Amino acid sequence: MHSPLTRRGFLAAGSGLAAATVLPGLSACSALTGADSDPDTLVVHSQLGTTAPGSPTYLAALDRFRKEHPGLKVKNLINGDDLAQVYETSRLARKEPDVVMVNLYDKTLAWTDVGATVDVKGYLDDWGLRERVLPQALAEWTDAKGRVRAFPYFATNWPIAYNRALLDRAGVDAIPTTGDELIAASRKLRAKGIAPVTVGGNDWTGQKLLAQIIQTFLTEDEARHAYTTGDFGSRGAREGIEYFVTLRDAGVFADKAQGLTSDSMTTQFNTQAAAIESAMSSALAKVPPKVARHTEVGGWPLADGAVHEKPTILRTYTLIGFWISPNGTKKIDAVEKFLRFMYRPDTVARFIKESGRDMALRSDTVSTDFPLVAAAQRLGSTVSQALLPDVYVPPAAAQPLITATSTSFTRGTSAAKVRAALETAYRSA
Amino acid sequence: MKLGKRWLPAHILVWTYAVLLIVPLYYFLASAFKSNEEIFAHPFALPESLGFGNFRTAYDSADLGTAVVNSALVTVLALALTLLLALPAAFALARSTGRLASAMEKVFSLGFLIPTFAALFPTFLLAAATGLFHTRLFMVFFLPATAMPLSVVILVQFMRTIPREMEEAARMDGASTYTVLRHIYIPMCLPGIATVLLLNFLTFWNEYLYSLIIIGPDPEQRTVQVALPTLKAITGTDYGVLTAGTVLTLIPVWVVYTVLQKRMQQALINGAVKA
Repeated sequence: MHSPLTRRGFLAAGSGLAAATVLPGLSACSALTGADSDPDTLVVHSQLGTTAPGSPTYLAALDRFRKEHPGLKVKNLINGDDLAQVYETSRLARKEPDVVMVNLYDKTLAWTDVGATVDVKGYLDDWGLRERVLPQALAEWTDAKGRVRAFPYFATNWPIAYNRALLDRAGVDAIPTTGDELIAASRKLRAKGIAPVTVGGNDWTGQKLLAQIIQTFLTEDEARHAYTTGDFGSRGAREGIEYFVTLRDAGVFADKAQGLTSDSMTTQFNTQAAAIESAMSSALAKVPPKVARHTEVGGWPLADGAVHEKPTILRTYTLIGFWISPNGTKKIDAVEKFLRFMYRPDTVARFIKESGRDMALRSDTVSTDFPLVAAAQRLGSTVSQALLPDVYVPPAAAQPLITATSTSFTRGTSAAKVRAALETAYRSA
Repeated sequence: MKLGKRWLPAHILVWTYAVLLIVPLYYFLASAFKSNEEIFAHPFALPESLGFGNFRTAYDSADLGTAVVNSALVTVLALALTLLLALPAAFALARSTGRLASAMEKVFSLGFLIPTFAALFPTFLLAAATGLFHTRLFMVFFLPATAMPLSVVILVQFMRTIPREMEEAARMDGASTYTVLRHIYIPMCLPGIATVLLLNFLTFWNEYLYSLIIIGPDPEQRTVQVALPTLKAITGTDYGVLTAGTVLTLIPVWVVYTVLQKRMQQALINGAVKA
């Protein structure tokens, strides 16, 4: 059989392919080696830049900053969930970026302590930016030794979103405010083929909601103790876990919630396959307008004897901050220009107006194009606030705790087993 | 031609297999033209529109054009280096009959035993020590090192099938060792070379972990496998855009596979006939 590709053709095709790729590559990128950061280039490593909420605004802000500072080049490095790992290896090689934009969670909790990033307290004061930061935000970014880990930037409200149209279709007249009402509403929703509460039981969204429900019977101090030490043996913690198990076994959560992720959760809610979700404000900003029109935000229903007076939400100011690396201290003038620009009221206002982001900074701007985000901001004293455990959970226990979450959302798992799974997450860390 | 009933089970199996391949492929391609709502509400329905919006968004957001060039640059140079090293090594091993050659061949085979993840930290240290951390150049050197065991083992087997009389005739005509390799062994091993190229191309193109750590996240340098995950957002991924981006990055793989697959199939058939 004659081969369709002769030897000469094969070699020619290979050479052509090589030339077609290598030559433009070499000319466009000049060399295979990287452009090492020079004193005139500020290197920023961010989770913003592609499809994350706020990315277009961030890129537009970078362009404006470049125009205002023509002598200063800015290189933007982009990663998603793997940013922390990539930053850490860069730091080990002493080639880390100057500024990192990432949240305070898991690995990043240890960065200041091990010298991967620097205490920014002095800069915050020297540059006169302290007054721009909300006091709660400053408190959350300050560690036990009084060091400010980063310049706070994004915050988030984490209310419960209720699709009123679906609740109406199922015959649920009012937003549930108690566990019994939630169970009754879930039964009616299921009867209509609608999933009640969708949640990523296999990832961080499930972990957060579980933490919120457990805190039904915990004061802030008790919650802080439980999540710092991994001791869920107090009466309040045990009652909270039992409340969670009762809701779960009554069918409150979507089927197979233990296998769902944050993606499947938001998709189920946004496509109206589910009526209720616990959504942070960046997810609320992405609810399609036709769903957002008949969505209300509120808190998580309480049980009898709860320590909270009103349904609870989560709220945090640790979503994204500007961390300064040791390399960044060598270009501190450029870093100062960048942070002054990002803290400027007009820049902050753009994130609120264009992207619907909640900010950890003072601003009078309201996001009119993102009604659910604005509604969550207005919840104010109509809800109680549960503690977001992120900054209290030891870094080594963060991932085991998410694994334990999946176990907790599995139907039939007893309260004792849920508690054991949570405590084991700390012991194995 | 009328087919007997005895062929029915075979037909059922073949068509079932075809469906098993086509359905996910259809789902994958159709999703690239859909919104999240369409994907989840009607996963197997035809897309409402055949617009290229998702592709444009993916291409622009993740800067896939530069990423594809970077991946191609790293892959092609690494493939060239792999062949440059593996061909002489395989040639020498195939022609040698001594114990040392046998031991060397086993050493190459031992390369299969090293888990990818276990080599990550030493590789990172090496990149940092050589000053090649955050460069594509390091990957051009590193990828061939990982590909040598498979490449050498495959090529040695191909070269052993070439009759020694061919070489002896060439020697009598005054051919040097290099000439024997260049004009006898390499042309006769083209199916084997195609096999090595194809297998290594897929490995190099799809490499993620080392590219992420070593090359890093700079959009001017990162490969497609590092660029693509940036389309995944922590608070709700647009699967239409993500799928469209994946389709775009698979096009080069499809092109290379189409070019090389006949050679690889030929190599396999030849092997079967000889066996």
